[in-house]
Amino acid sequence: MRLPTPASPAAAARRSLLFDTVAAIVIAVAAILLAAGIGVVGFVALLAATVLVAWFGIEATLRRTRRRCSRRRLSSTS
Amino acid sequence: MATRRRERSYPRIPLWRRARRILALSTVACLLAAAVSYLPAMAEKHNVGIGVSSAEWLRQNGGNSIVSEIENWYYELNAPQKGGPTLTSLPNVGVAVAEGGEDAEPKRLYRPPRVKPLIHPALPGEGVWKPAGAHAGKRPPVLLTSFRSDPEYPQFVAGVAWINANRTRLEYTPGTAEPPEPLEHRGSGEVPPQLRKGLVATFNGGFPLETSNAGLVYRGKVIEAMVNGIATIVEYRDGRIDIVRWHRGEGAPKNVWFAKQNLPPIVYEGKLNPNLSDGPEWGETVNNATRVWRSGLGVDARGNLLYAAANYQTVESLAKVLKAAGAVRALELDINEDWTSFITYRHPGAVEPSNLLPEMFRSPERYLVPDERDFFALYLRGGQRW
Repeated sequence: MRLPTPASPAAAARRSLLFDTVAAIVIAVAAILLAAGIGVVGFVALLAATVLVAWFGIEATLRRTRRRCSRRRLSSTS
Repeated sequence: MATRRRERSYPRIPLWRRARRILALSTVACLLAAAVSYLPAMAEKHNVGIGVSSAEWLRQNGGNSIVSEIENWYYELNAPQKGGPTLTSLPNVGVAVAEGGEDAEPKRLYRPPRVKPLIHPALPGEGVWKPAGAHAGKRPPVLLTSFRSDPEYPQFVAGVAWINANRTRLEYTPGTAEPPEPLEHRGSGEVPPQLRKGLVATFNGGFPLETSNAGLVYRGKVIEAMVNGIATIVEYRDGRIDIVRWHRGEGAPKNVWFAKQNLPPIVYEGKLNPNLSDGPEWGETVNNATRVWRSGLGVDARGNLLYAAANYQTVESLAKVLKAAGAVRALELDINEDWTSFITYRHPGAVEPSNLLPEMFRSPERYLVPDERDFFALYLRGGQRW
């Protein structure tokens, strides 16, 4: 038996986000229960947040750069 | 003919993006959970910077080994170089003899011998004891000296205090946060104002209970179970102070008023502990061979106390300083620049406080205002004059 298919791409995106949020909460609770203390959880989360912010930042910068390059290419050929 | 329903295609998010999103969301959830503990802790009043407070919060919440590891990396990266030019003079400790009292001592009054310098030739005043307070008379309650602490590092100076056990009484004072266990008579974490008239000196305590894994007896009650084999500062109900290697089990005999444990002894029966290298018995802290601010307390053959502190010391070099000063038994107290303090008061009433060494980081007013950490206060014995 399959899950009902979403009616629209937006609904599919929302369902995907919901599943990911639930998975994230389960992971966070497991980390808090298994770690030596909340201090360790916070420390590791801070390191992860630093890496993620850098990752998102670099990706966004590269995307913007690529868009600018392709716009320049289009305007030079037209 | 019925039109076939067009099949819609839903854009699929790549698996790695979904994994990253889950990681980001779980990171946010963990940070929020940690913030519930961290923010109220930082909102409390502290007398140290936010960096130190954060490190202490991390230590108290399961991260002691992380903090120690980071400290080890930092101190190893900033380790001093051996050798180098030697000093030409020592920092000024104590008061000049003319101000402190008469120089001529009647032979019956004991005074510790001059500390034999560890580096030759000796600098002017090196190892010479001077009174800590002004007008201290013929029997100063506290004497101070300084000497270069390590022949391999001739720039580093140890400050040592000798405390006359017949003239003073030692009192353990809980801080506002250390020990963390509930106490009946915690006080306000400072030297009580009504006792400052007879205050002679104050100095730092040992490691926090959570990192020392050792015991505490306060006002005759066992606050944290005692541990055999650990160096213990003991105050008996008759006022005697001693440093012993504990062997009485988890409880304390009835004649013990106070007992604070901190790591194995570093000097015992007049000899250095042969096992001053790292091991589980030394607790989760900075490595013993890492050079940091260290402090220690010892007792000489006559039962007088000796306090020593210096920067860039290993456990072994600290032990040698205390032994050179005359300690027959000694233990390490707290370490790091934020926690080591020995403060004397030049005049009665805690007037003109002064650090043992000028480079000591904390203010000389430290224990005259509430402090988070526990500490020791030395008062003149009842009926004695300054």
